[in-house]
Amino acid sequence: MASVQISEAEKVYIMHGVRDDLRVDGRGCEDYRHMEIETDVVSNTDGSAKVRMGHTDVLVGIKAELRRPRPNVPDEGYLEFFVDCSANATPEFEGRGGEELGVELSNTLYKVFNSHRSLDLRSLCVCPGEHCWVLYVDVLLLQCDGNLFDAMSIAIKAALFNTRIPKVRVLEDEEGGKEIELSDDPYDCLRLRVDNIPCIVTLCKVGHRHVVDATLQEKACSAASLLVAVTPRGAVTCVRKLGAGSLDPDSIFEMTETGKRVGKALHAPLMELLQKDESLGKKRQKVGFLA
Amino acid sequence: MAGLELLSDQGYRLDGRKASELRKVQARMGVFGQADGSAYMEQGNTKALAVVYGPHEVRGSRSKSLHDRAVINCQYSMATFSTAERKRRPHGDRKSSEMSLHLKQTFEAAVLTQLYPRSQIDIYVKILQSDGGNYSACVNAATLALVDAGIPMRDYVCACTAGFAEGTALADLCHAEETGGGTALSLALLPRSQSIALVQMDARLHQDHLDTLMEAAMEACKGLSKVLDSVVRQHLQEVSVLSRD
Amino acid sequence: MPVDTKRVRGPEESQSPVLFLPPSTQSPAGRSGQGARGNADIRPVFTRCGLVSQAKGSSYLEAGNTKIICSVYGPREIERKDETDMKSGRLVCDFRLAPFSCRKRGAWIQGSEERDLSLALLESMQPGVCLHRYPRSQIEVNVMVLENDGSILAHAVTCASMALADAGIEMYDLVLGCSLRQDGDACLVDPDVLEEKGSWQSGYEENQGRVTLALLPNLGQVSGLQADGEMREDALPAAVRTCIDGCHKMYPVVQQAILRAVKKKAPPPEK
Repeated sequence: MASVQISEAEKVYIMHGVRDDLRVDGRGCEDYRHMEIETDVVSNTDGSAKVRMGHTDVLVGIKAELRRPRPNVPDEGYLEFFVDCSANATPEFEGRGGEELGVELSNTLYKVFNSHRSLDLRSLCVCPGEHCWVLYVDVLLLQCDGNLFDAMSIAIKAALFNTRIPKVRVLEDEEGGKEIELSDDPYDCLRLRVDNIPCIVTLCKVGHRHVVDATLQEKACSAASLLVAVTPRGAVTCVRKLGAGSLDPDSIFEMTETGKRVGKALHAPLMELLQKDESLGKKRQKVGFLA
Repeated sequence: MAGLELLSDQGYRLDGRKASELRKVQARMGVFGQADGSAYMEQGNTKALAVVYGPHEVRGSRSKSLHDRAVINCQYSMATFSTAERKRRPHGDRKSSEMSLHLKQTFEAAVLTQLYPRSQIDIYVKILQSDGGNYSACVNAATLALVDAGIPMRDYVCACTAGFAEGTALADLCHAEETGGGTALSLALLPRSQSIALVQMDARLHQDHLDTLMEAAMEACKGLSKVLDSVVRQHLQEVSVLSRD
Repeated sequence: MPVDTKRVRGPEESQSPVLFLPPSTQSPAGRSGQGARGNADIRPVFTRCGLVSQAKGSSYLEAGNTKIICSVYGPREIERKDETDMKSGRLVCDFRLAPFSCRKRGAWIQGSEERDLSLALLESMQPGVCLHRYPRSQIEVNVMVLENDGSILAHAVTCASMALADAGIEMYDLVLGCSLRQDGDACLVDPDVLEEKGSWQSGYEENQGRVTLALLPNLGQVSGLQADGEMREDALPAAVRTCIDGCHKMYPVVQQAILRAVKKKAPPPEK
């Protein structure tokens, strides 16, 4: 994984700072870095978003395809996740170098997002047992500077908000054969409800405290971190201990509390931003990478 | 031709351009902070991102290093959502390996590799959205990224495609024109010395037309080189204003 | 690849008939299958060390119908020298489900689920092993699930730590695993496979989730935690505490098995 090596003196410096609630870049322990979010950046996709958080840069594209539903849940669509750790982020990912991390990240994303209560998977079903929409969520890591999970989850939420699936109708002819008709109107489309989609908050244990949105340097000072996926209502959908160290039970409770608090606070401004962005409509200036 | 009229009687193409007209080019250097050099390039709807690392020590086995010049290492990949049909793998298939090789050959001709013996320069390009002319967008983006990284080159490398329809050469093909059944030629040019870094064409064309086609591609490359030059100059101006404060 | 066109080939993808059973026959009928087991009880555990003679250390664990075997090799010289820092050793975990272990046949090749489990196992084991005592070397832990009847990750953690102890690898503490399934207000410790799936796969009810925890019992440290599904705010801390209790219940059984193995290897001097 993309990581940095830092000296003992640097470690001490960072840890002492965290102890006094002052991090190297001037943030407090529960502050995020400056974040830039833009939706609808790749026109080839049904929904896309780009998130930049400090030096971490993530691009998410969502494509919807019609497939056969899974046999055990014939009346639901499903999501597929793929994380491309491109060599752009670090030369270590060249060739097959990023694959391992990619599988690890996409497995976790699958666990976080593919739950019934966060996304109405039934609305993705076109014709039970025969056709459903499959949403391919492709995450592209362009730059890593710590806290990949949080950036990815925000980008995925924004991209899902941005996703427009064309409306289809199932027509039945006399012989009972079914045909799928695509709506002629490109603006007639299905939107996803993203109200209950969780955001991931990763908490890094540094010294006796924990920090939100750790940079690579801070991550190098910590042995273990806790990933908490929180929905806007404060329910927890996924918890993972990451890293080689261990945590004592009390700090786990503390960290999940912080995670919930920070996560809940993250949703409202994000939704507000996305809605404001959309209300601009055509007037919105598209900047993408040109800014 | 497969029922597709590439050039109308009035002399306009599918997207309303004239035969020798390029698509809108937009570019920016220094997109990322962590890489040594980076650039983003849009040619119409084709969007490419290039990142350069190095020159640095040769990674992996030492036997790859060359005693008299730098090794250039390229990887071309396409985002899985870049094409109309979703791609299953971003890289590693035959087409992208071939593209990586072509990029390597192109930049070996342009970079002054002899200045960095026993070292390596990594060029990674990623297509974010593909709409024809992927190779040329990559080359142009990589050129800007190399400039951003401060790696000495003989000249800008400018690449462009050109096609041939109804007796006329068309510059800078879009995806519909590329797949429309005509001939397509990609050319990478060092414009000042007028030397060719790479030329590739894999379709049938009468030899009498080759000169016209090459001429059109070279014209298009020269047009692009002006754009690249202005991007570099503008970037330098921005950076120098920033550093003066 | 040439294809034999004369032969009628089966469909490319085949599906297990189990999938088409009506859901009522699949769902668990309470805790009746195992006799009367309370919600907070773990299944009876049988465990032994040292049954794979070729391996440096090994262990076998049975909890209800879940059967897991684990072998440990090493410390041996590191294979890939380039990437690791040389001051501490490397732990390698390989988690596999035997193709016949689940109701549906699995593939021999490691799938993404198994890779995920391998990583979870590695991150749970790492804090327990004194890796700094083994510079320039790697220790391999291979876990094979012979029969999957729920809570495999939790039991794999316990099984792996016993195998490590049996191999004489220096450890800070044993690592014990326990999992639970939150189903509404009920909290089922050490769920079997039916309880694990439950109605959650098709249901939309509230407060459904699964928690797996790994504990270093003497140090009181949690070395691994995985929770999935949507759980109410207060449910998670309660679940973590219940899991810690569950781990402590396992401890005497594991201690006995290790003691037995040690006595067998080095019998106490007869008087």
